[in-house]
Amino acid sequence: MTEQIGFLFNADRCVGCKSCEMACKNENSTPLNVNWRRVSSLKSGKNISISCNHCESPECFRVCTRRAYVKRRDGIVMIDVNRCDGCMNCVSACPYNAPQFDIEKNKASKCTFCLPRREAGLMPACVSACHTGALSTINMEQYPNDTVATIEGFPNIRLTKPSIRFYPVKEKARYWIKN
Amino acid sequence: MMDDLKIHRNVCPRNCYNTCAMLSHVLNGKLIKLEGDPAHGYCQGRLCAKGYAYTRYVYSPERLKYPLRQYPRGSGNWVRITWDEALSQISEKIIELNHRYASNLSLSYNKFSGNVGFLHYATEGMFNSLGSHTKLKGNPCLSAGLDAIAYSSGEGRNPDPEAMSDSKLIVIWGANPAWTAIHQLNFINQARDKGAVLVVIDPVYTATAGLADHYIQVRPGSDGLLALGISKILVEKGKYDASFVENHVEGWDSFRRYLQEIVRIEEVCSLTGVEESTLQFFADLLWQYDPVATWCGFGLQRYQNGGQNVRAIYALSAITGNVGKVGGGFYYFHPGIELFPLNLLNHSGPDDGQISRSVDINYFPSQVLSLTDPPVKLLWIAGRNPLSQDQEVQKWTRLISELEMVVTVDLFMTKTGEMSDIVLPAASHFEDFDLNISYWHQWLALNEPAIPPYFEAKSDLEIARQLTRRLNELRPGFSNFPSERTAEEWIEREFTPEVLRHYGLLSWRDLSAGPAKLLEQNNPWLDLNFKTKSGKFEVFSKGAKEDQLPALPRYRNEKHDSSFPLRLLTPQNITGIHSQNWALEWIGRDEREDVVSINPLDAAERGIKDEDGVRIYNAQGKVTRKARINSELVPGIVLLYQGGKEPVNNLLSGLSADMGKRNSGSDGAALYNAFVEVKKIERD
Repeated sequence: MTEQIGFLFNADRCVGCKSCEMACKNENSTPLNVNWRRVSSLKSGKNISISCNHCESPECFRVCTRRAYVKRRDGIVMIDVNRCDGCMNCVSACPYNAPQFDIEKNKASKCTFCLPRREAGLMPACVSACHTGALSTINMEQYPNDTVATIEGFPNIRLTKPSIRFYPVKEKARYWIKN
Repeated sequence: MMDDLKIHRNVCPRNCYNTCAMLSHVLNGKLIKLEGDPAHGYCQGRLCAKGYAYTRYVYSPERLKYPLRQYPRGSGNWVRITWDEALSQISEKIIELNHRYASNLSLSYNKFSGNVGFLHYATEGMFNSLGSHTKLKGNPCLSAGLDAIAYSSGEGRNPDPEAMSDSKLIVIWGANPAWTAIHQLNFINQARDKGAVLVVIDPVYTATAGLADHYIQVRPGSDGLLALGISKILVEKGKYDASFVENHVEGWDSFRRYLQEIVRIEEVCSLTGVEESTLQFFADLLWQYDPVATWCGFGLQRYQNGGQNVRAIYALSAITGNVGKVGGGFYYFHPGIELFPLNLLNHSGPDDGQISRSVDINYFPSQVLSLTDPPVKLLWIAGRNPLSQDQEVQKWTRLISELEMVVTVDLFMTKTGEMSDIVLPAASHFEDFDLNISYWHQWLALNEPAIPPYFEAKSDLEIARQLTRRLNELRPGFSNFPSERTAEEWIEREFTPEVLRHYGLLSWRDLSAGPAKLLEQNNPWLDLNFKTKSGKFEVFSKGAKEDQLPALPRYRNEKHDSSFPLRLLTPQNITGIHSQNWALEWIGRDEREDVVSINPLDAAERGIKDEDGVRIYNAQGKVTRKARINSELVPGIVLLYQGGKEPVNNLLSGLSADMGKRNSGSDGAALYNAFVEVKKIERD
C-alpha cells in the first residue's frame, strides 16, 4: 500500500446540518433509506458524521464470502456490487454501519470516497459540502499532531483501525437557567 | 443516443436567509444532481441539506401532475381535469361573481412565501388586473422587528453579512443558522479562526448554541429585558461609547435615567433566568471586544412585546458604539427588494370606480368572514399553506364553508389543497425563469429553466397569463394583465438603469454568466447619519410615542391564562421550511417531526416518560405527539416543530405583536405567546 487516505473530523465545528449526508445522496443517487454518510447526535450533545472509514483492517472485506470487497493502493475500500449476493455479513460486521443494504436490489453498497470526483481532482461531495470545516480529508500517514484516534461516542476502533482522526472535543461555557 | 448533460443556473426560492445560487445537472432532460454555484460569493458552491435534496422535491411521488377537482370539497374524491376545463371553470365563476355583485370585490387571494422569486408576484398582478378586489396586507414573519428598527434608526438595513468575518465578537441573539442559514457559519467561523468569540443567546439550546463559545439561556420573550439589564450595567460602569451617545443618540438622558431608576438587576435576573454574574460577564465581553456584530433573529419579535425586544437589543448595540462600524453592526433584515420596481406586484388594474379592500394576513379568515357587501366568494391560494401554517388555522374551516370556489396552486397536496375545489399543479423553480435576491445577503441571481415542466405543472406567471386570456375571451377587456408578456420580458423590466448601476450590470442577461453583488459598500450608518427625523439613533422615539407605543424600549411582562401553564415554542425543523419539508424522507426517519420536547421536571409532574404518546392542548385546539424528555429545555416550555399531520398551529393564540403597522400595514403575529397543557394519552 502506498498511502491511506482518510477523514478528519472536528466535532466542535459540526452543527449537525446534514449537508454532508444530503450532498452524498445527491452526488451518488443512492436510493431512499440508503445513506452512505449519516449525521447523528451524540449523548454529549455533539454531532458526528460517519461514512465508511476505509479501515486499515476492514471487517467487511474479511467477512465477505463473495470476495466482493477490495482495498485499493490508495487505501479506499470498494465493493463490487456485481459480486454481492445480499448475505448482509458486511452490514452486520461493520462497526460504523458503512455498508448500507438496499432491500429492493438485495445488495449492499457504500461510500467510494467519491472516486469519480477524486479522479477529477475534487474533494468527496461530503467534504465539499461541509460549511464549517468540520469534515476534511487527510493522509493517514501524516495526520496533524493535535488530533486523536477517537472521541466519545465513536464506535470502537480497535477491531478495524478506521482511517479517521479527530480533533479533541473542547469544553465550552454554558450558562443555563437554573431549575 | 449520446448522453446530453447540461448544466443550468437556478436559485433556491425558499423563504430563507441564504437564497443560494445552484448549478443544476440535467441529463437527457432529467434533473440528476445539484451543486452550489461557486460564482456566488455568499454561498461559495455549497448548499444546505434541503438544497441537496431537491431532486427528491422535483420527482417526489407525491408531486402533483395535473389539475384536479374534487366533489364535494374536502371529500378526497379527486378527478383529473384538463387545464382547459380548470381555466374555464374558474373564469366562469369569476365572471358570474362579477355579474352578481357588480364588482370584483368578492374575489380574494391568500399568497405569501412558498416561492419568493420576483415572478411569483404574478398572483398579485393577476388580481390587480381585475380592478378592485379583496387584497392582502401585513406580514406574519418579521414585521414587529422591522418597525422596531425603523423607530430606532429610521430604516433598517443589514450590514453585508460577509463582513461578519471581520468581527471580534459575534452575538447571535435568537437565531439558529445551523438549521436556517447555514452559509453564515462560514463567515462566522472565519472570524473565529482569527480569534473572534461567538456568543449565542437563546431559550433553546440549538445546534448553533452548541457551536458557541458561550451559550446564555434566556426565558422566552424576555430578551429585551436582558438587553436593558446589560445596558444598565454598562452605563453604570461607564462602559459605553460616550462620544456616540453624546452626538448621535436622541433621548440618551431619558434612556440613562430609565436604566438607572426603573430597570432593576434583581428583576432582570428573575425574569430572564440569567444570573447576575452572567450579566456582568456578558457586559464585560461586549465592552472588551471591538467590533461586535449582533444578529437579532426573528423569533424574539414574535411576542406581544416583540418589537420592544428588538428595540432594546438594537439600543445595546448602538450605545456600545457598534452601529455603523465595519465588522460590527446590527443584523436583522436586508430590504434589497426595495431597489426594484416589482412590476408584477405593482401592476395597476383598470379603474372601475371602486376601492380594493385589504385583509390582514394574520387574521385572514376572521376578517374575510366579517366582510359583507359583497362577501368574499372566491379565494385563490398560492405559495401558502394556511390550513397548516396560519395563525387562525381553526377559523379556516368556517371560512372555506362560506366560499363558493377555492383554488390552490401548489406542488403538493397540502392541508390547504385538501380543502380546495380545484388544485393546480405548480412548477418548481427548475421549470421556469425567475429572479431572486436575498433578505440577508447582497447577491442577485437569475433562475433559468433547467428542465421542462413536470407533467402539466405551470408557474404562477404562466397561470396568470392563461387565466387572463380565458377571462378576456369570455368577457373582452375583463383583465388588463399583459398576458402576451413573457417571463423574460417581465425580468427585463425589473432592470431599471438604477438597478443595473447598483449591480454593475450592462444587461440582465449578464446574470446568465453568474450572480452579481451590490457594488456599493452597503454597511449602513458609516456616516452616522440616521434616517430618523432627528438624524440620530432614537433610543427615545417620538414616532413610537405617536403610534401609542412607549418612547423608550420597555419590557412588559405578559399575562396569560394559568390553566395552560406551558409556553409553546414552534421553531423551524432542519428538514424543511415551515410546512415545506421535502428533505424529510432523504434524511430518513427523523422523529423530530412528531415529537414534543419537554423538560424532565414538567414531564415528571405529569407522569410523562420518554416516548409516551401525549396530547398537547389549550382553549384553541389540540394535537398529539410523542414526548421527548429534554433536560436542556427550560422548565415551563414545550417545543414542537412546525407542520405535521396535525399542524402545531392549532394551538396558537391568535395574538398580535406590539409593532408591525408602520412597515407592513398591520401588527406582527405573537406566535410564541401560546400556552398549553400536556397530558399523557392513557392506553385503553
